[in-house]
Amino acid sequence: MVELLASGGTLEMARAAFDNGADAVYVGAKGWSRRRALYEMDDDQVVEAARLARSRGKILRVAFNTLPASSEAPLFLSRTEALWRAGIRDFILTDPGLMKALKKRHPDAVVHASVGCTIGNVQDALFYKEAGASQVVAECRMDRETMRKIKREAGVGLEVLVHATMCWTLLGRCTMSSYARFARQVDDTGKDHFPGSPNRGGLCYRICLTDWDRVDGRGNLEAAGVKMPNPAFFRAEDVPELIDLGVDTIKIQGREYSTALVGEMVRFYRDLIDACLRDRAGFRMEPFRERMAAIVAGRDTERREKTAGLIGEARGDA
Amino acid sequence: MSDFELIVSLASPGELEGTDLAPCDAVCLGSPYCRRLEGNYAEALDSLGGVVSLLHASGKKAYVTTPAAPREADLPHVERLIDAAAAAGADALEVHSLGVLRMLREKGRPLPAHMGAYANVYTHLAAAVMRDAGAVRVRPNAEVALDEMGLIAREASVEIELLVHGKIPLGVTDKCFLLSEPEETDPNCPAACREEHWLKTPQWALKTVGKGVMSGRDMCMLEHLPRLARDGFRVFRVEGLYETAAYRSEIGAAYREALELAFSGGEYAIRDRWAKAARRHAKRNLCNGYYFGTSGRRYVGELLQRDDPGIK
Repeated sequence: MVELLASGGTLEMARAAFDNGADAVYVGAKGWSRRRALYEMDDDQVVEAARLARSRGKILRVAFNTLPASSEAPLFLSRTEALWRAGIRDFILTDPGLMKALKKRHPDAVVHASVGCTIGNVQDALFYKEAGASQVVAECRMDRETMRKIKREAGVGLEVLVHATMCWTLLGRCTMSSYARFARQVDDTGKDHFPGSPNRGGLCYRICLTDWDRVDGRGNLEAAGVKMPNPAFFRAEDVPELIDLGVDTIKIQGREYSTALVGEMVRFYRDLIDACLRDRAGFRMEPFRERMAAIVAGRDTERREKTAGLIGEARGDA
Repeated sequence: MSDFELIVSLASPGELEGTDLAPCDAVCLGSPYCRRLEGNYAEALDSLGGVVSLLHASGKKAYVTTPAAPREADLPHVERLIDAAAAAGADALEVHSLGVLRMLREKGRPLPAHMGAYANVYTHLAAAVMRDAGAVRVRPNAEVALDEMGLIAREASVEIELLVHGKIPLGVTDKCFLLSEPEETDPNCPAACREEHWLKTPQWALKTVGKGVMSGRDMCMLEHLPRLARDGFRVFRVEGLYETAAYRSEIGAAYREALELAFSGGEYAIRDRWAKAARRHAKRNLCNGYYFGTSGRRYVGELLQRDDPGIK
């Protein structure tokens, strides 16, 4: 049975996601996930979210999916150890070294390789499997044939994002944001949040979406106001096919969106998946389209406002 | 035999032509960005044997790069590329994708791996995993500061490669930014990336090479070479991809001289001709920030700023 995984940027959002039908929720350990601290949780909140999940027979995954400094490896092990003792068993990681270290300490830990691993082919999937991952997230542009091949040959679970942003550069392989603005900021646990680096601290200033002038080598304008396309996608129409090809987890990304919107998105995908599973042959997308359009419009409005704020922050406006 | 290794990267016979390779100890062949780049050594496998022999005959090492983020459909080519590089006698394969590293291991490690700029080496633990899979050298991600690199080298027992000059790789993708049609049908491919293209706002400048984004400013570590030598770094790269032959030759010559002085232990001062070469070829100024923990576009230091207030 395919799993619906949703975002938990706050306890309230995690609760809304479970209430609306998520099978699992992911949250970010403060300082350690691909979002800024505002959308992450401290250990007490993580434990509370895990309690909430268990009380409903659901799963909580904790993202430690930034790429830290080497000197922070002991901190990673102590944070995950504390959560392990509190009963957390499911983790999302990017760094293959951290994966191996966690699996060595806790062979029963369930490790998923994050979208930041940029897994684009079966060999990538096998590498992360060998590092300890039991499930991998498909790179956002991965084609169906590659998904089938990973399912067939890699022996790992496959997770596909149905709601996320399609960065123009490959997610996990971009440092444009930190080229523009970057800082070192250590919190009271000793963790550096690396603001400005999505890979290291989670905060991306989205400078790709500013208006660029493209000029040639002599400075002549080739195109004005171009953006590096970074659309948010909503792959509702793909869900039946993803189910058919045996995808293990369908993920709704979006800790930075409002709780109400996340709740709506989760309910939408829950209904869609259930309708598809109930009657695959008779499934039709039409009844879902109007609802989908309203959700996408709400999502786009929230995203536009956030993007303008982030670019302004990178420029130093805020 | 020098105490250090200076690498220059170049993508194709077109970039080799006119480049003075005398200053460098090794050449990294090919572009990891685009398989359609004209003459890309990582694509035109028949040309590898000749260029590797040429480099060996002049006492240089030859490394061959691989696609930064290959798709499943690219893997048969990558397999042939590994075989061709090994058959040509290349000294190492530059690897950005962990799947490609795995393929190399599965083939019995016919040549050592150097982990490239897009391999996302941030920690000594990751470097150790890659070392165990066949990597002998790693180039940490651009965001990794110098003090972190020292720790990676010590704890993972791998050699560190440092970018000392040139555009910093900032991103890679599948779709060419310079084309309006799919690359197979767009008449501007592969000519579009032969020309220079920049992306500018009042605050920032980047260089686009189609499927790659690079810093607008040139990384420049001329004034910090004695520190690098003291810290134990021995492998340095001048990024020559998508630059002119004059860039590779003159920047390479400046660094050869500067590194020899830095490693001699004698008094070190930036020679005017090195600074002039760096400034002449840096169309959007100089930077070196990531190495010192600030944003990549910053220049940390004093000597090159003194004469040029534009370098901030």
